[in-house]
Amino acid sequence: MSARIGDYATRSREAIRNHPEVRTAVTGATVAFDEKRRRAYGEVDADLWRRWAEAVKNHLLTHLGDYLVEAEARLEANGAHVHWARGADEAREIVLELASRHSVRSVVKGKSMLTEEVELNPALERAGIEVYETDLGEYILQLLDEPPSHIVGPAIHKTLEQVQRLFADRLETDPGGDPDELARAARGVLRDAFINADMGITGGNFLVAETGTVALIENEGNIRLTTSLPRVHVALVGIEKLLPRMSDLAGFLQLTSRAATGQSIGCFVSLVQGPAAAPGDDGPEEVHVILVDNGRTDVLVHEHAWEALRCVRCGACLNTCPVYRQTGGHAYGWVYSGPIGSVLDPGLLGLHEAMPLPFASSLCGACFDACPVRIPIPELLLAWREEAQQQGLTPWKERAALAGLANVATRPPLYRLAGRVGTRLGAARAARKLPMLGDWSNDRSLPSPSPRTFRQLWREGIK
Amino acid sequence: MSGSATRDRRESFGDDGGARARILARVTRATTLRDRLRHPGRLESPAPPDPAATFVKRFTSQGGEVATPDPDRSPRDWLTSFLEGLGDDVTTIAIGADVPTRLQPRSPDVPPADAGTAREESPGQLHYLIAPAVSRNSVEPMRHVAPAAQAAVGVSLAWGAVAETGSLILPSTGTRAVQLLPPVHIVWVPADRVFARLEDALIELQPRLPAGVGLHSGPSKSADIGQTVVTGVHGPGRSIAVLEG
Amino acid sequence: MKVALFVTCLADHYFAEAAADTVRLLRHLGCEVTFPDAQTCCGQPAYNAGMSREAARMAHHTMDVFADCEAVVLPSGSCATMVKRFYPRLAASNPAVQAAALADRTFELGEFIVRRLGVTRLGDGLAGRRVALHQGCHALRELRLETEPAALLEGAGAEVVPWAASDECCGFGGLFSVKMTDVSAAMADRKLDTLPRVDCVVSGDGGCILHLDGRSRIRGCGVKFVHLATALWRAVDEGVGDGMAERDHGGRHGRGNG
Repeated sequence: MSARIGDYATRSREAIRNHPEVRTAVTGATVAFDEKRRRAYGEVDADLWRRWAEAVKNHLLTHLGDYLVEAEARLEANGAHVHWARGADEAREIVLELASRHSVRSVVKGKSMLTEEVELNPALERAGIEVYETDLGEYILQLLDEPPSHIVGPAIHKTLEQVQRLFADRLETDPGGDPDELARAARGVLRDAFINADMGITGGNFLVAETGTVALIENEGNIRLTTSLPRVHVALVGIEKLLPRMSDLAGFLQLTSRAATGQSIGCFVSLVQGPAAAPGDDGPEEVHVILVDNGRTDVLVHEHAWEALRCVRCGACLNTCPVYRQTGGHAYGWVYSGPIGSVLDPGLLGLHEAMPLPFASSLCGACFDACPVRIPIPELLLAWREEAQQQGLTPWKERAALAGLANVATRPPLYRLAGRVGTRLGAARAARKLPMLGDWSNDRSLPSPSPRTFRQLWREGIK
Repeated sequence: MSGSATRDRRESFGDDGGARARILARVTRATTLRDRLRHPGRLESPAPPDPAATFVKRFTSQGGEVATPDPDRSPRDWLTSFLEGLGDDVTTIAIGADVPTRLQPRSPDVPPADAGTAREESPGQLHYLIAPAVSRNSVEPMRHVAPAAQAAVGVSLAWGAVAETGSLILPSTGTRAVQLLPPVHIVWVPADRVFARLEDALIELQPRLPAGVGLHSGPSKSADIGQTVVTGVHGPGRSIAVLEG
Repeated sequence: MKVALFVTCLADHYFAEAAADTVRLLRHLGCEVTFPDAQTCCGQPAYNAGMSREAARMAHHTMDVFADCEAVVLPSGSCATMVKRFYPRLAASNPAVQAAALADRTFELGEFIVRRLGVTRLGDGLAGRRVALHQGCHALRELRLETEPAALLEGAGAEVVPWAASDECCGFGGLFSVKMTDVSAAMADRKLDTLPRVDCVVSGDGGCILHLDGRSRIRGCGVKFVHLATALWRAVDEGVGDGMAERDHGGRHGRGNG
């Protein structure tokens, strides 16, 4: 998915004004997810779990080289093949080469943000390979040729009516079919795809260095099938997804599930060590794990943003974010949307490319409270804002106005004078003519100042 | 402002060595920039008191079902009548390769020698199939999948279960297609291997990890259509645990 | 106790009566209130925009102004957070800023009353009032004032009506409401659309009130907004005026696009 972030303000305006059903669907779904997450956090010592998870990931990220080498060795000992990809093109080439080597005609996929990030599907399709997204939400979006709008619930912006129309058109279901009927229709198509696919492609929620285990969490069973039935399984895993030990995985599977959907654990977890090699073992003939950088080492060297690499892609920050709730993910313009996208995208893509996402937040802090690995998202947003100001990526008028404020506010007599002039002499009316405040006042009634300032009241004596 | 989201680098396939070395070099450089932080040790979370009871409570609250065998009958007799009780349309049963005979249903008209192939269905009569475990390298790569895809019920043997998450632990030494394809999944669980915590189970399993392990914590679910929960989307719509022994 | 009032820009100019109520309330609670005249802006607009050098200059000025005060009280959760939580962060990159000491002596109004003075019962002046509480983000998630404002309102007899979006951001966010004006307005709408039937909405932050009130007026929602300081003074001084009078801008609100 190519990044189109620059026109966030325009796209969010269009979404809010022209697609009220998106706002309704996204708000409804995320509020429900968020409530489940709160309840699930309340059942455990969430503060302890989150601090523990933060510390494990911090340890991992400050020893990442060692654990990458350990994971590679374990996977190879398990009979899996390990590949390294610096960029999206390398990741795609590795998959295409494997597909060609195995004469792959048909691929089933589990939901993976990384494969969206490296734009894998178009590359496979160009090579004449049939690709089936098998997560129900992803399948809906594949039929619509839309990117996911949410890390966990890719189609949360779609209403039942929209899916009814789509499936009636494409799968010949009853136009008034209920979700059960619609799901059955999709299951029928995808069941055949699973049985006939030559290759299964997934991401990876975690990769345990100690055992070489790729762990995947899901609810539908499609990832279990993708990693079980086809002859070849390829997992694309971001290098930051490692965990040191198997015992860490136990905590992370549960915490991620609680954060994402409020479950104690996802309905299905796949633990993939490698191909079925031993007698009596069942599974793919070959397992390939592609370790993908694609900008992650750039984030890792960043003084502040490296903390965003703790992210487990649970979507809890999206669900709790009042900004995300108004538009869903498409307005953000790239794979990773919402609060985590606004701090991760500048690192992965470069700040210039990701503007103005660091400013697409009211800094309300709800994301930090929801984050299972305690990524200080508001602080990281501020760090990116500071860089944006230093690099001159913000409007010069804005910088000049704030520099002016600092000049005035450090000179009390000037500040008092400016305050009187500003609010007394009709600045509110003048503000409407200013470019920035013009929009503000179209959507809100402009306030009138108090008849007398507090300073006046104080001088006169307060009774 | 728009542009490519990707960092294309012109390296051909097979240059893994180059990519590996460069990624590791960049990672190493990054990790020298800050203090190395210590691992916090194991997560201290309280173990639920009665593992078996907690498992039943959790698993059922997640939409799973728990059936209790009749102590006065042999497991296979009990299972046979349980399967008969599932309805007349339940005629084909797929059985995982690691399920011992004593935990397989009786089916008088299908001798075990015929296992592995689906028989023509005769309504009201129970057929069963033993799915061979390893068949990938055989001439018929789909042989193990096809029977399970036709079956109304799959019968598997779990390696163990987890109380705190309500999970069945299904190893790939069983038959994956049996664990996943039939709409109803019946899983034997050794009653003495219900672990209080997930961590306990994974650590116990660690030295003997098979190629793949599935944790099944209820039936297959999705809320992707209109935020309404539907079951049996890809995996089993009913997941029935049977504590045995 | 001697308390310095840090009035904040918005309260000085837009919530002057609420600021005066803050003084009345503090005096009623036995405090001697001072008003250092050299105080200006806390610097949060610059800080939130990522202009930390400018923010640090304003922080330095504010710290000089309040250097000798025993306690500093602000009728704003957001500006109080700037002093208590963000000045120390600015100090990390600017050693000249001795922020920690001031942070410890600075309080949001409700925080000061409950945590510093240990008072939750102010009077019965709000008996029979149904109010909704808008929990400002900084007061809630930075200062962790999760229960204090509601406790004070309930202690004065008000019924704090449950509001699903009580702890959701109103969409103000200073510069955010200017840069992302549509999203910001939609966030306010979510607050207004979920609001239960109440006599008024109480908030400890003038910025949130200006934003929500502005949006409510342009949509014709007819919701009354009252600053926490005014509500709490009413709790003490039940005989004053018409009780929960709205913000003192009277009927002089103009439509923005008029």
